[in-house]
Amino acid sequence: MALNVLIVDDSGVMRAMIKKTMLMSGLPLGEVYQAGNGKDGLEILNQNWIDLVVVDINMPVMNGEEMLSQMRENPGTKDIPVVVISTEGSQTRIERLIKKGASFIQKPFSPELIRDIVKEITGIGGDDEPPVK
Amino acid sequence: MRYVVGVGDMKAGQKGDIIVTHALGSCLGLMLYDPVMKIGGMLHAMLPLSKINMEKAQANPFMFVDTGVPELFKAIYNMGGLKGRLIVKAAGCGSPLGNNEMFKIGERNHTVLKKLLWKNSILLKSEDVAGSKSRTVHFNISTGQVIISSNGVETEL
Repeated sequence: MALNVLIVDDSGVMRAMIKKTMLMSGLPLGEVYQAGNGKDGLEILNQNWIDLVVVDINMPVMNGEEMLSQMRENPGTKDIPVVVISTEGSQTRIERLIKKGASFIQKPFSPELIRDIVKEITGIGGDDEPPVK
Repeated sequence: MRYVVGVGDMKAGQKGDIIVTHALGSCLGLMLYDPVMKIGGMLHAMLPLSKINMEKAQANPFMFVDTGVPELFKAIYNMGGLKGRLIVKAAGCGSPLGNNEMFKIGERNHTVLKKLLWKNSILLKSEDVAGSKSRTVHFNISTGQVIISSNGVETEL
């Protein structure tokens, strides 16, 4: 199974770093889509088959939390795994995101952490070993 | 064979060999393993960057992280190791004198390592770094198993 991933972050550098990490992780990647804000992200979600969404919180036009809420209200996208990667420090906000079924990674992150979390939530090991639970 | 890696040193071995290094403090211990060829190597590097003394780096590249890490990879490639198969683990990079150590050698060793690996698209399989403890590493090349002993406690990396 190849994973189609959508990366939503207003920084192109950050999107490139996340994409590179995914490639390095040995995950079976299919298409990698990118968007600069939540609104564009939702549009890509409606037009394509996406298996995993990686999203920032603070972005112009529509932030990541709003995007996540709208995804959860739409039957077509409500079960897609979401990883939030952000500098967000507010514990209440982080808990709110986790309640909506997202995993949270704090920036600055190590690429190894992204690999471990993505393997855990997709249940796909990048090599012969089972993912670390 | 049992090899002991000294400070500013590197050893590579094959099935049946054990590679050991003692008392990693702020130094970096880096282990590479190719599970198909059953070969592996270990580096024990002291300082982050070779630019402080190029002559020493030429005489002994294993002293520095930025010159030692590429040499370790080259040694494994020369023995038949393939980049895509390599399992990379790191240990050490601590601050044995506590957090107010002026030069932050351990932290900088770790940063230089992560930067080198990132540039070459390599992720660590696991690491046991930072803190003030001293670590001894046993690397079994037959199985790829890496055991860290510290203060009498043994853990698998």
